[in-house]
Amino acid sequence: MPDEYTPPASPTASFYDLSEDDEDYSTITHTSTGRGVKLLYTKSKVYVHPTPSAKDNIPGFIALMQQKPPSSSSNTTSSSTPSPSNLLLAWLPESAIGTAYDTYVKVDLLDTSTPPKQTYLVPPPPISSGSSPLGSYSFSIPVSQIYSLLVRPPSLGWWWGSIVINSRSGDSFPALFFHDSECASTIAQSRARTQKNFDPFGESGELFWGGDEVLRWLKRFVKVERSEIEKTVYLVDPSKDDLLSFGQRPVIDSTAGKDKSRGEGSSSDNNIAAAVMDPFTKAIKSARWTLLEQFAKVTQFSRQTANNFLDNPNLPPQVRKLLKNPDVISLQDDFDSARLYLARWAMGIAEQSEKERAKIVWKREDMMEMEDSAVGEFEILDVEAGNIAGSGDRRKIVEMKEWNSWWNKSTGRLEITVDEVKERLFHGGCDTAVRKEAWLFLLEVYPWDSSKDERAALMNSKRDEYVRLKGKWWDDVSRREGQGEAGEYWRDQKNRIEKDVHRTDRNIPIFAGEDTPHPDPDSQYSTIGTNVHLEQMKDMLLTYNEYNTTLGYVQGMSDLLAPIYAVFQDDAVAFWAFVGFMERMERNFLRDQSGMRAQLVTLDQLVQLMDPVLWKHLEKAESTNFFFFFRMILVWYKREFEWNDVLRLWEGLWTNYLSGQFHLFVALAVLERHRAVIMDHLQHFDEVLKYINELSGTIELNSTLIRAEALFYKFQRTIEASDRKHGFPSPGTTRPMVRLTHRRTDSSTATTATSNTANSTGTSTSSSAAANKGKAVDKGDGPEITEQLRGLLARDFVRVEKKEGEEGKGKTPARE
Amino acid sequence: MSSRKKVLLKVIILGDSGVGKTSLMNQYVNKKFSASYKATIGADFLTKEVLVDDRLVTMQIWDTAGQERFQSLGVAFYRGADCCVLVYDVNNQKSFETLDSWRDEFLIQASPRDADSFPFVVIGNKIDVDDGKRQVHQKRAMAFCQGKGNLPYFETSAKEAINVEQAFEVIARHALAQEEAEEYTGDFGSSTIVDIGADSENDGCGC
Repeated sequence: MPDEYTPPASPTASFYDLSEDDEDYSTITHTSTGRGVKLLYTKSKVYVHPTPSAKDNIPGFIALMQQKPPSSSSNTTSSSTPSPSNLLLAWLPESAIGTAYDTYVKVDLLDTSTPPKQTYLVPPPPISSGSSPLGSYSFSIPVSQIYSLLVRPPSLGWWWGSIVINSRSGDSFPALFFHDSECASTIAQSRARTQKNFDPFGESGELFWGGDEVLRWLKRFVKVERSEIEKTVYLVDPSKDDLLSFGQRPVIDSTAGKDKSRGEGSSSDNNIAAAVMDPFTKAIKSARWTLLEQFAKVTQFSRQTANNFLDNPNLPPQVRKLLKNPDVISLQDDFDSARLYLARWAMGIAEQSEKERAKIVWKREDMMEMEDSAVGEFEILDVEAGNIAGSGDRRKIVEMKEWNSWWNKSTGRLEITVDEVKERLFHGGCDTAVRKEAWLFLLEVYPWDSSKDERAALMNSKRDEYVRLKGKWWDDVSRREGQGEAGEYWRDQKNRIEKDVHRTDRNIPIFAGEDTPHPDPDSQYSTIGTNVHLEQMKDMLLTYNEYNTTLGYVQGMSDLLAPIYAVFQDDAVAFWAFVGFMERMERNFLRDQSGMRAQLVTLDQLVQLMDPVLWKHLEKAESTNFFFFFRMILVWYKREFEWNDVLRLWEGLWTNYLSGQFHLFVALAVLERHRAVIMDHLQHFDEVLKYINELSGTIELNSTLIRAEALFYKFQRTIEASDRKHGFPSPGTTRPMVRLTHRRTDSSTATTATSNTANSTGTSTSSSAAANKGKAVDKGDGPEITEQLRGLLARDFVRVEKKEGEEGKGKTPARE
Repeated sequence: MSSRKKVLLKVIILGDSGVGKTSLMNQYVNKKFSASYKATIGADFLTKEVLVDDRLVTMQIWDTAGQERFQSLGVAFYRGADCCVLVYDVNNQKSFETLDSWRDEFLIQASPRDADSFPFVVIGNKIDVDDGKRQVHQKRAMAFCQGKGNLPYFETSAKEAINVEQAFEVIARHALAQEEAEEYTGDFGSSTIVDIGADSENDGCGC
């Protein structure tokens, strides 16, 4: 058996267009001498997914080939009806096909409703009968050696349909995933069906997909039986015994199959497993597993939910069709409600279909008939968002060249307005090199009106100050040895910080290493090792306790520090940037949680004002504590977005360009994006929490920011309208002009007026904020605009009021 | 058949930061351990369907942030709890000493009908770490549990899946008993939430 597929010498042009009678093709057992094998059918864009990561997916072709029979039997086998032992089912990665690629593409696009009129020869595939993956995952197996196929169509939450081939010796080949939306032949076949009889569904009543074709190829030459017990199992040339084991018995109907899918290890499972012939237990098990997964994900919803769901005009037409499928309808009857899973699945499909649509429209506009009906499904807001998004270069990333052009070459002073800078950073973000400078302004380490020399001097003194602060604990031996109350407190803080730093962003390369011995042999991490960046992080957080002597380390702070440190990779610089960030974030970490409460209350009022219908639904679901936004607000979506998105999001928020609390509009944008699903499917606090928690990693940043911006403008208009009605102009009424012309510095009078209001809405008034809750909107004469809501117009963030908490008091904060 | 009422058991896991709450939950529900869980922020839960004496129940296991500072938010999800699991790290003395305050805090915030009979289960986690580092002896932990009204006590390793299943079996049993007792006394508060259908079969073999 060859270890790797090395294509033989490339076939010459004479290989093509050979007649049907040509017998000059090789058997696979002596490939080196032969000229090739007949490619009967093939399908492109069939992938192996070696890892869960999409970027590792390997595209290839699945192919049915005919090889020359071994010499002993060659006389008895005619080429028109080849025996299964001379047929090969193969999968080859595109990269291994070499010069035969064109032939594969050609055969893929042939009309397969009739057998090919011409013979196409290709180099023989590597043969393999075992499951050990070859270097390139490629494999081929004589059809006579195939025992069964596990077929998972692309419905029910699995976007890609897949096929797994099981051999008679009990081995399985890697699952092959049919990326139908990329496969030209499947697209064409699917379209042909739709046009011919308005039936996009395949023979089995399910949506047509690439795997159906593979089954059709095989059915031309061998008997393929679908198992009655396991609908996903297709047996190839089954024996009588096989048929019996796989439930061709009248007693086991399809209901039994479904029943056990919910049977969570109940005894009926074991009975069925035990009844199966031993070599195939594995196949059965894996089929059951996939079946269960499908069911658990999707099918446990009630008929009523499904009906409501069907009526939802936002539903992509693909989903609507799928839900009218009789199979799916019968499943709806059988399973209990699980709105959460349905909701997630529906959202997944909707998003996927949006992506698909974008791709398809771009490529060929006449592709699917559902196009037109699905346009404009998401609110009028999107029209506005589209206008925001479509404005030229605004969203281009700020690169060094552009950044430098804003500063005087000799003095290093800013030559455009701060507002202009912020506008660019808010809409475009900046690249890594710019970050090292821009963040220091955004985080108020450098004043915007400083010169180059002033900044250099400032940074020098900041570096000295950092060393001094760090020295306070570093040189205090008695504290470090844990003596006295102060020592005990310090050790406790050190342990907390260490525990969290060792589990913060370890997937980011600079934090990943464990190559340095731990400095403290008593630490629980002494056996694991550490790295210089983790140690710097710990020192910085301990030093922050010397700077801010009243707060103490709180979980979440390490999450806030890590991106800043990673950008600067200079502890003193990063420390002061972190201090700037904490000015804004400190209220999230207060002992009484008043800052977090205040923000959740503000979000509550914002939703009431902007979307009272959704708010009423959340109230019914006992979810108006908005606790499910706790994590997002505490660490500014750090756990929801990928690393690079977090950097981009934060620098936008730091600008205060539209609002000092723009992060609450981001929350509103996330909520609005999922509005339909929440309204239709989530009815309890735990469902809402789970759904929102699991959005982590799925939120698309750019569209969310655009939507948040659109929501902000809508909010602003609402306030203005209300103020006009009540006869007093808000300080904010002139501000849209400020923004649209970008010609004023951000210390404009308008800003000052509103930021004062904002400061008073912070922690000190949180109890009255809570008391106001629930009556923020609609008393017949328009909404009541609370202090908290008006505060959202302020272009400054909310600071914690310090009574005497200046640095250097040296007192020990109260233990928690 | 879809009208069959399912029992939902709500279990809250509490304990100091870093004792392994998230790991225990994931080991039990997903049969997985990762050395790289991040510190939990806010709260999350996983569900698992289990058979308790032939009754199919759904366990909803809540994992919480371990820092004391976040406890004042607990009331949002403590309510309706059927069992509370107190976790400490056997290699960390302090995490054992705080068990009492975790228990008190829970009783205050959840305010169950009968605080004395409310089921707690104590877990000493991380027993896979070598013996030299152990700071809390088993005897001491058991004495504590006895003193609190014979609380069930387990020593586990979420990392190596030692005793986790056993501990949660007892947790499920106590939670079910509590749920039934509550229902008997006329509190239907938490038993009506629908099944959200966790896939309990994911330890099967994939393809």
